[in-house]
Parts: sequence; C-alpha cells; structure tokens
Amino acid sequence: MCLRMGLFLTDAFVLTFFVLGIVQISATKRDFSVAGSEVSGHGALMPMSGARFLPESSPFKAHKIAYDFSLSLSSSFPEDLEVSDYCLALLGIFGERYVTYVKCLVSHARPVKICEKCYANYNNLREIYNNISSDSMGPGNMSCHDSLVRSDRLMLVYMLYSSMEEIWSTASCTHCFTPDEKSLSNNTLHILTALNTSLSCFETHQGNHTELCKECKALYRSLSELYSTMEYNNILCIDLEDAMNVTRRLWSKTYGCSFPREETVPVIAVSGFMLFLPVIFYLSSFLHSEQKKRKLIHPKRAKSSHSLMNIQDKFS
Amino acid sequence: MNMANITKKVSWSSRGDDSARGEATPLLNGTEEVRYTRQPSGGLFHISRLSTVDLEEEITSEEQDSVRTRPNMIPHNEKLLSLKYESLDYDNIENQLFLEEERRMSHMGFRCLEISRWVICGLIGFLTGLIACFIDIVVEKLAGIKYIVVKQNIEKFTEVGGLSISLILWAVLNSSLVMVGAIIVAFFEPIAAGSGIPQIKCYLNGVKIPRVVRLKTLMVKVFGVICSVAGGLAVGKEGPMIHSGAVVAAGVSQGRSTSLKKDFKIFEYFRRDTEKRDFVSAGAAAGVSAAFGAPVGGVLFSLEEGASFWNQMLTWRIFFASMISTFTLNFFLSIYNNKTGDLSNPGLINFGRFDSDSVAYNLYEIPLFIIMGAIGGLLGALFNFLNYWLTIFRIRYVHRPCLQVIEAMLVAAVTATVSFTMIYFSNDCQPLGQDQTKDDYPLQLFCADGEYNSMATAFFNTPERSVRSLFHNPPGSYNPLTLGLFTLTYFFLACWTYGLTVSAGVFIPSLLIGAAWGRLFGILLSYFTSGSSIWADPGKYALIGAAAQLGGIVRMTLSLTVIMVEATGNVTFGLPIMLVLMTAKIVGDYFAEGLYDIHIKLQSVPFLHYEAPATSHWLTAREVMSSPVTCFNKVEKVGTIVNTLSNTSTNHNGFPVVIQIPDSDEPGMVCGLILRSQLIVLLKHKVFVERARTRLSQRKLQLKDFRDAYPRFPPIQSIHVSQDERECMMDLSEFMNPTPYTVPQETSLPRVFKLFRALGLRHLLVVDSENRVVGLVTRKDLARYHMGKHGLEELQLAQT
Repeated sequence: MCLRMGLFLTDAFVLTFFVLGIVQISATKRDFSVAGSEVSGHGALMPMSGARFLPESSPFKAHKIAYDFSLSLSSSFPEDLEVSDYCLALLGIFGERYVTYVKCLVSHARPVKICEKCYANYNNLREIYNNISSDSMGPGNMSCHDSLVRSDRLMLVYMLYSSMEEIWSTASCTHCFTPDEKSLSNNTLHILTALNTSLSCFETHQGNHTELCKECKALYRSLSELYSTMEYNNILCIDLEDAMNVTRRLWSKTYGCSFPREETVPVIAVSGFMLFLPVIFYLSSFLHSEQKKRKLIHPKRAKSSHSLMNIQDKFS
Repeated sequence: MNMANITKKVSWSSRGDDSARGEATPLLNGTEEVRYTRQPSGGLFHISRLSTVDLEEEITSEEQDSVRTRPNMIPHNEKLLSLKYESLDYDNIENQLFLEEERRMSHMGFRCLEISRWVICGLIGFLTGLIACFIDIVVEKLAGIKYIVVKQNIEKFTEVGGLSISLILWAVLNSSLVMVGAIIVAFFEPIAAGSGIPQIKCYLNGVKIPRVVRLKTLMVKVFGVICSVAGGLAVGKEGPMIHSGAVVAAGVSQGRSTSLKKDFKIFEYFRRDTEKRDFVSAGAAAGVSAAFGAPVGGVLFSLEEGASFWNQMLTWRIFFASMISTFTLNFFLSIYNNKTGDLSNPGLINFGRFDSDSVAYNLYEIPLFIIMGAIGGLLGALFNFLNYWLTIFRIRYVHRPCLQVIEAMLVAAVTATVSFTMIYFSNDCQPLGQDQTKDDYPLQLFCADGEYNSMATAFFNTPERSVRSLFHNPPGSYNPLTLGLFTLTYFFLACWTYGLTVSAGVFIPSLLIGAAWGRLFGILLSYFTSGSSIWADPGKYALIGAAAQLGGIVRMTLSLTVIMVEATGNVTFGLPIMLVLMTAKIVGDYFAEGLYDIHIKLQSVPFLHYEAPATSHWLTAREVMSSPVTCFNKVEKVGTIVNTLSNTSTNHNGFPVVIQIPDSDEPGMVCGLILRSQLIVLLKHKVFVERARTRLSQRKLQLKDFRDAYPRFPPIQSIHVSQDERECMMDLSEFMNPTPYTVPQETSLPRVFKLFRALGLRHLLVVDSENRVVGLVTRKDLARYHMGKHGLEELQLAQT
C-alpha cells in the first residue's frame, strides 16, 4: 500500500506543478519532458539528501526534487500494484484538458466571460473525469477509479476536478445553456443582444450625457426589465450578471442617469403634517378628556393605638 | 425616640389629607398633578428619619378620622392597589367531600390522572406551536403584500415624481391595519393589549386577572398581533405568544370552553386553580419555546417568573410541552417552506445561524462586552422611564376606547412617515447581494442601479427580518450614520408604541435597537483601531448589543440568557451574553425598574415579590391584618349569609367559620374557613338543614358540583333565595376547610409573607392565644408594603 501511495505521490506532484507551471512559466511542457528524461536516466542514483542543496528558486527545480524523492521508492514496487498503462493514459488526457480549461478560465477572468468561452473545455474535462471515475473495468481488470482516484489520502485527481466543478457551479454557468449544455440558451442570446445594443447606444452618444440619458433610456429600460425577469426566474450566469453590472455602473455612475431627488418639499410638508397630528391629539386629549380619578378605599384595620405602643416597645 | 415614632405614624395619614385637599381644588393645568403624583398619597414609614422628624406634632387623631371617612379621589398613579384583583385559590380545601372523593378513587385512577397530565402537556405544546405557525405565516403574507404594494408604488413614483403619495399610501395602509387590531382590542378585550407577559407573570404569582385566560382573549390576541406587526408598528409577536400559550393551557386543561358553552366531560379533576396554574406555567413555557425556538429557555422562563409555586416533578412535564411546541412549529413551517420533515428551523424569531468563526471571541473582548452591557442598562432604564410617564399619561387621559384606537392609528402613521423620511434622505447605498432580492424588499430609490438603500433594509421590513440582517449582513452593509439615526428613531418609536392598545410585544423592538447600536459599536471599534481584522465581524457586536438592550429593558436574567443562547444556537456565546445581561440588570436597576414590573405596578396589581421588603421585621401580623373579620357560625342562617355576600361595600371572599360562645361579644374560636364560591354553590343547590330533613332522597352534593361551576361562579345577585328560605339554616361543617392556616398576632411580616408566597395562600387567619379570630391577612394586606425611595412605603387601596 505504502508503495502504491508513493507512486501516486509521483503523479500528484507532477500534476500540481504541471498546473502551477501553466500559470507561471509558459514553456511548461518542455520542462516536463526534460524532467522525465532525468528520471529515467540517472535520477535514481542521486542521494536524497543531495536534493536539499539544490537551489529552489524556480518551480522547475522544486519539481525535480519531488521527482527524485519518489523515484527512490518506486524501484521496489511489485509489478501487480503498478497503475495500468490504460489508466495512466487517461490521466495524461485529464491533465491536458485540465490545463486548457484552466488557461481558458484565467484568460477570461476579467471581464467575466468564462461560461461563454470555456464551456467546451469544461465539457471535455468532465467527460474524461467521468471516464476515470466510472466503475467500468479497464484492460488490467482494475477500474481506474480505484487506482487513480481513491487509493490515497489526498485523492488529488478528485480534489482538482471538484475545485473546477465548484468554480463552474458558483458561476452558475449551467443557467445560460440549453439543457444539453451544448450551446447558449435563447434567453441568454436575447439578453446578450439587448446588452450589445444598449452599449452601442452608449457608445454613439458618448459626448453628451444628458442626451445619452434620454436617447438610450428605452433600450436600457427594456434591458433592465429583461434582466429582472431573468433574475426572478433564476436563469442568469456570471457572464450576464457581470455584463449587466458594468452596464448599470456606466448608466448610473459614469453617465449619471439615475433619478434625482427633487421632491423634497412635498415630502417634508406631508411628513411635517403627519408628525403634527399626534401633538394635536395628545394636547386635545390632555385638555378635553376627563382625567381618570381613583377612589381610595380605607380598609378596616385593627385599632392602631396599642399596636403603636408595640412599635414603640420594639424601637425603644 | 418614642415621641418621634408616634409623630411619624400620624404624619403618614396627614399626607393623605394633604393630597386630598390638593385634589379638592380644581386644577387648571396638568403640572400641578404631576407634583402630587410625585408625592403620592401613600403613607411613608421612614424609619431612618425618625430621629430627626419633629414636625406636624399638632395633628390630632380627629383629623386622622376625618380623612378616613371622606371619599378620596386621586389621579391614577403607581402607588395604588386595585380592588379589582383577587387571589387565586391555590390552597387545597381538604373538606369532607374531598376526603370522600379521594377514598373513592382507586390506585388506577391516580395513574390515569398522571397520564392525562402528560397528554394535556403534549396538547398544550402542539396547539401553541400551531398558533405560532399560524401567526407567523399570516404575518409574513400580509406584510409581504403590503410591502410589495408600497414598493411598486415607490418605484413608480421615483421615476415620474410624486413620492409624497407613496408616503401617504404607506401611512394609510399601516394605520388601517393597526386600526383593525386596535379596535378588536379596545372594544372587545382590553386585557389582550400589550405583550401579556405582565399579566401572565401576575397570574403565576397568584393574582386572578379577570378574563386573562379566556378563549376570546386568545382570539383577540392572535388577530391583534397579526394586525399590529403587519401594520408596521415597532413591535414583535413573541410576547403575545407567551400569553397565547398560557391561554391555550388554561383552556385545554379544563376540557371545556365556557365561552363556547361546550363541555367535553374530560379532565374534570383539573378544574381548580391549583392544577390550572401548573398547566398555565407549562403553556407560558411552550409559548416562549415556540417564539424563540428555546425549549430550555421556556422552562426557565416559567421557573423565573412563576417560581413561587414550583414543583420539581413539574419541570420535566413543562420541558416536554416546550419541546413539543418547538417541534410542532418546526414541522408545520417545514411544510409551509416546502421542506417537509426538515426539523431544523425552530422558533418564530430565527436569529439565523452564527458560524463559530464569526462569533469567535477573545479574552480581551470581555471588558468591551461589559461596557456594552452597561450601555444597554442605561438605555433600557431611559426607555422604561420614558415609557412609565407615557403610560401614566395614557391611563389618565387616553382611557376611552375610541381615543385609544385613534392613538394607535396615529402611531402607525407616524412610524410610516418617519421611516419614509429616513429612507428618502438617506444617502447610504450598498450593492445588492445575491440572496437579498427574494426574501427582502430592497428599495432602490435614488441609488444607482444594482444598489439598494441601506436604510430601507432596516426600516422597510418586518422587525424580525431587520434584526436578522443586522446580525448577519456582511461587514460594510451599513454605514455608521445610518445605524446611528436608525437607533435613535427606533428607540423613540418603540418606546412610544409599547403600551398602546394593541397586542404586541417589546422583545423584538428591544433586540432591534440593541442590534443597531451594537453593530454601530462594532464598526466604530474597527475605525478606531485602524482596521485590524480582530474586530472584523460587526454581527457579533450586534448580538451582544441586542442582548444588552433587551436585558436593560425587561431585566430578566437566567431565562433570557438561555433564550438568547438557544436562539443563536451557539453555546460558546453563553458567557458573554450572561455577563452582558448581568451588567445590564445591575446598571438598569440602579435607575429604574424593569418594564414589566413598571406595568404591573401601574395596573395596581397586588404582586408579591420574591421577598418581603427589607427592614419590615418590626411589622407584625397585628398591624398588617384586616380587622374585624366577618365570620360565620358553623350552622348559619341563610339570610345572614345572603346579606353578607350581597353587601357590595365589603367584597370579602373568605369567611372564617367560628364557634361562638353564647351571649358574649368576644370573637369566636376558629374551626374552619369557607369561600364565597363555595357558599354560592351551596345556595344555588339549596343545601339547607331543613331541606335535608324533609327530602332525604335529595342527591348529596359532590365535589363535582363545585368544579362544574368553576371558574365563573355566578354572582350572588343571580341566585334567588325566597323569604322562607332566608329563615332556613345552613350547615357549613361538611364543606368548609377545617384546617385553615393561622398565625399568632406577633408573627412578623416577613414570616407571614413567606407563608403566603410559598404556599400560595389566599387567606391567613390571625388568632390570639385562645384561637379566637382577631384578623385576616390577604394578599392586598401584604402587597401594600414596598421599598420606596424613602424606606418602607405603604400603597393604598383604590377602586379602579
């Protein structure tokens, strides 16, 4: 078991640095292959302690250390616990698709367009993950689900995939697609057109803000209505929400088209009147209402003369 | 020293004279009256001043007598005891009928009784939960409709102009809803006004408040509370839930409804005050538990408020009722929310879940919490002080039902107006959150698109929701100015609203005020410490502020701590909440009493506190008791009994039964005590000695006949006694309580008090060395002594 874990650690580290590498270094693939050749060559001979003296400035170097470490263990793996080639192949495809997907996400982070641009990548990734995690037996009569996903504490493949899935569901991207998730839904297309017309209207009247407010009002209004019905029906994804937010900010803040506060006087007058009513009420009830009086009752008590004597006795 | 003593005693009544003279002269304005209420006509025994006082020595006993004979009319004030209130008969009458019944009852019978007690408690919990659920849903629907209508109107007029029309619409909607609520309360059942907690407190203390546990009261209470909460008043529906639970308990345990004239012939054994009181405390607990989702808090509330007659066996049963109530509410709300079977949504007020991260606290924050407790105590005392004067004014001048309805409507209109003005002039715009759109009613008004007016989340919402958003909205949802203004206005609105003739509670408004200033406190802390993240979550301070404010107003301790802890679902916060409530109570008590105590006092209820007033050991039963006592003989003439009972000037309720020594004026020897209610039942069934001789076949009177008449015994006027029958004799020995409690004349007041409080007595006979009746102590004789500002003071009896 321990040995198997070691092997998977290998995969894990490879993958982690793989992903990190995408972000930090452009030429990751080449690095990877270089690292691989090192492994097969003289890596096994390298003493473990030696790794510590290596400079750890670049991700590439760190990657190398990890690889050396696991390699020293892998030499003693028995044959039957090895991961089958089939599964390793699947894992390789998973890695590639993962990279493309993450790349896509990053490049469309601002302004947010991830749903629209990356859904194909996401679908690919999901497909390969489903393949991995399905229980169907591969060639080695062993399901890749067990060997790739479930055989160690870290469950890295699962963790990686689930974090990507979480991004997708937080963005509620599914709301913008047709149920088969192959293309954007009609509603989405509608609102995208509406957004574009509004924005182009803003564009044309850029110079004069008052004119812009007047001219584009109808377009903006219909856009707003469309948006709020979709919001009510909960069929919005992050792309649309973000685009709408930007448009709204343009409309209200940049062009200053929100409603002015201009009826202060009537509001003050009406509220002044309302506040005045209780004053009249309390004054009039104070002056005109008959004050409630209570009739005192004197209870029967024992003749207090000798009880007074008693008190005196006690106090003297 | 002796001299001074006498002087003081005399000057006590001279003060009464003083105020009587003051009242005789017509008053031109109100300022003078205020002075008289400040120096109430109640007497002052001021022990510590005895040695220095030497004035008014010339006042003679003649003057004293003249005061006593003149009918005294004084304006209503807190230092009165009303004749309207009587005690409940908690003492079991062990007469012969009772003994016979007990003998007849088998072992199985007692088992069945025990089981039916449990069944009743289950039923109480279930019905209370149902009522809570009903109120919750209806309020949500009604308020929802109202807010949506107003919101649409505001949205329309923001664009085209004419927002003052929205303001008027809001005010009119509010006042018409409140009008309905106020009319049913003012004209049909005035006892349903307010939160009902003071009334239940009195009931559990042993005071019979007329009509407090009737079905009609429950109806009016439930619909009244729906109207007042939906009408946008600064009120909550939690206090009324406690009252509703108590009414349910009193009704269910009797197995019949006198109002509906329907008798199910079950639970007949429980038709007496002793049993009913136990169930009422279970009902109150169930009410608390339904209101806050706090079963343990409910039990402790009953314990704290009704602890004078507590029985350990009762605790477990009451806890059962509380649990059932919470989970009934839970279950039905889960059906309503389309999550059938999800039982994790307890309580009317749901404070929401506090993650343990957001309420993590550290040792260095404890002093801050204590400071907040002190602020809460101060603000609470101010609240109570203002409300006290307002209530006095209301009792004196706004006592006609139509005036009360108009007042409630005005308050509703002004609440809407103030809220609207606040929202209108607020510049605090915050970006709209994701989940805000469906639950709340965010108003945009003049904010940029996609933003909402942050003042509106506080004002344009039911108070419960506002509390929740103050607790849970992320940091930065409110700016300090908004919170400050909100606290200020809501404080005065809530203070003004409590005591109106609508049924409504003060819990939620207090929580809301506290949450607002608590959050403000949290925000300011992070300002002054220049943004270090340790003060990050203002929601925590909102919770502490809410606890402090509530503690400062109602001054409950143990039960409130547990309720808060249970409602937030976070035990780790127990310590800060406890410290805060303690501080709030200590600081608050220094300035003013708790709100409920103030209202109990203003209602002139003879309420017995936990202890007799300090420095009262020198008073003996002889000074306290009423004397002489109206007694009956063991075999008494019917005419005498009817005359005594019909005498309107002496509305006595218990009569010692004595053996008179023939041909002597001396009071007779005590041999028993008989109650007015028993005599009335006896007269109704014409249990006369002569009849028993002539008609032997006549059925013997049983305990059941007394129970059937309970709790509304007919007045004496409705019982016809012919002239012949007046000459008959009645033998009381079988029906009277043969072993009433008696004390010697020298017993001190605290001793008498303890007997009363611990045993739930109604009458205590004072006897001399030869067991002759010399006086009778009742609740009013004891309740009139209390500690005032100048030492021991005495309240006066008054007709209200």
